[in-house]
Amino acid sequence: MKSWLLQAALQMVLALLLSPLVSGFIRKLKANLQNRRGPGLLQPYHDLFKLIRKGTVVSEHASWLFRVTPYIAFLAALMVSLMIPMVTALVPLSFFGGVLAVVYLLALGRFFVALAALDTASAFGGMGSSREMTISAIAEPAMMLSIFTVAITAGSTNLGWMVQAALQHQERFLSPSHILAFVAMFIVLIAETGRLPVDNPATHLELTMIHEAMILEYSGHYLALIEWGAALKQLVLMTLLVNIFFPIGVGARFSLASVVVGLAAYLGKLFLLASAVALVETSNAKLRLFRVPDFLAVGFILAALALASTFIF
Amino acid sequence: MFYDDIQFGTRMITLMAAGMLVTQLLIVGQRLLPTSIRLFSLQSFLLACLANTVAYFNHARHIYIAAFLTLLLKVIVMPLFLNRIVKRTSETTEVQSYLNTPVSILICGGLTLIGYMVAHPFIKPHQRGHSTLAVATALFLMGFFLMMNRRKAISQVLGLLTAENGLFLAAISLTYGMPLIVELGIFFDVLIAVMIFGILVYRISEIFDSLDTSKLRRLRG
Repeated sequence: MKSWLLQAALQMVLALLLSPLVSGFIRKLKANLQNRRGPGLLQPYHDLFKLIRKGTVVSEHASWLFRVTPYIAFLAALMVSLMIPMVTALVPLSFFGGVLAVVYLLALGRFFVALAALDTASAFGGMGSSREMTISAIAEPAMMLSIFTVAITAGSTNLGWMVQAALQHQERFLSPSHILAFVAMFIVLIAETGRLPVDNPATHLELTMIHEAMILEYSGHYLALIEWGAALKQLVLMTLLVNIFFPIGVGARFSLASVVVGLAAYLGKLFLLASAVALVETSNAKLRLFRVPDFLAVGFILAALALASTFIF
Repeated sequence: MFYDDIQFGTRMITLMAAGMLVTQLLIVGQRLLPTSIRLFSLQSFLLACLANTVAYFNHARHIYIAAFLTLLLKVIVMPLFLNRIVKRTSETTEVQSYLNTPVSILICGGLTLIGYMVAHPFIKPHQRGHSTLAVATALFLMGFFLMMNRRKAISQVLGLLTAENGLFLAAISLTYGMPLIVELGIFFDVLIAVMIFGILVYRISEIFDSLDTSKLRRLRG
């Protein structure tokens, strides 16, 4: 019980501290790839700190929904980050549910953010939530199908067991179906975190924005919570990608040695994946909004093929 | 050592074949011609690596030559040549197809499943690299689909080349390489075909001011 609490606390602290750093790292690398110096690695922390100290302005037409949403979005993302294997295969909140709970908690946060964007009745907010829902309607099934592909090989939808099974039977993993599922999941990551071919994370007030349009009305510590929640969600999706498809180095037990090794492996894998994301963002132009479903359809078909091919082999 | 282990070799071969399948699907979903050419180059690179792996594990020395030729011609020379044609001729670098992207991707998903079904009776449980034949069939079918679906001559050439990649994959995974003379013949054939296509594409763009092959119907008197 004591070690369980310790592990949960450690994982929570790690997720909270690491998630802004990942965003900062991607931003920095992107700037360097474009021959700019870019803001420092710690800039997201400064931003969050500044936003938390500032006062908030809430529209007089806004209802309670607007005030509750930042907490729901942040807490949902935080809960999810305790339900995935990060450094060890032991998941603190594994009794709470497996993959399905992860997907639906993320969906819950997104649902409330979209509702809050509609709540203030600004034109941008409505536009943003309609776009976000359009995209997630395709991205979400693709994500479920690709995770199910791994779940079928592992024989469980519990994420901790999935990683354990992958550690024990390495030969069953890294099959063609997993490659297909990995690429599909990567496309989902790009779409869900609002990265470049789908949405531009670097701009405010652009007619094509999606995520920024939804949170335009937020300020102060509300905005800080939403931004932090988005960073947590990004970390969660990246962790799923690196730990479920490449579980190398994930500790099987909770001990000092396995935590140190696991942490080093985890950070290394995240570094590689974040570099890949930055590379994709730099080398691609933003898609026209009506082309985004085409892009996501590729991911969906890849995931469906992955699932189908697990049954054929 | 792990790199002498036949299990490891089989896994690497399967992995690279899956990578080829992914690149093929991405080519189908891609709208920009230069990116499609880059993806084709990547696919051929994977093919060359796969051929090398097969050669290493079966001690078939002549496959090394085929792999080297793949690397030289399909990874470097042909993409350069195709890029030059794109730069010289086309008014837009966007591929135009008859069906829209989601439908084409769906059809290609179906074609992949057909590939798996067709290859299924040939799979013996003990045989190595058993899913490569399925992938090869799928690549072949998708290559033909690309040729039918694309409007522009260059992307049709790209379809043919990917179908040829599938053919080569099937050849090395089933028979561990045809005789060297046959393979040399095929390479020479494809190279010449691409050259001739290049000239043809120039002529089409000169006469019709476009690479849209559906405009060739105007020839009918």
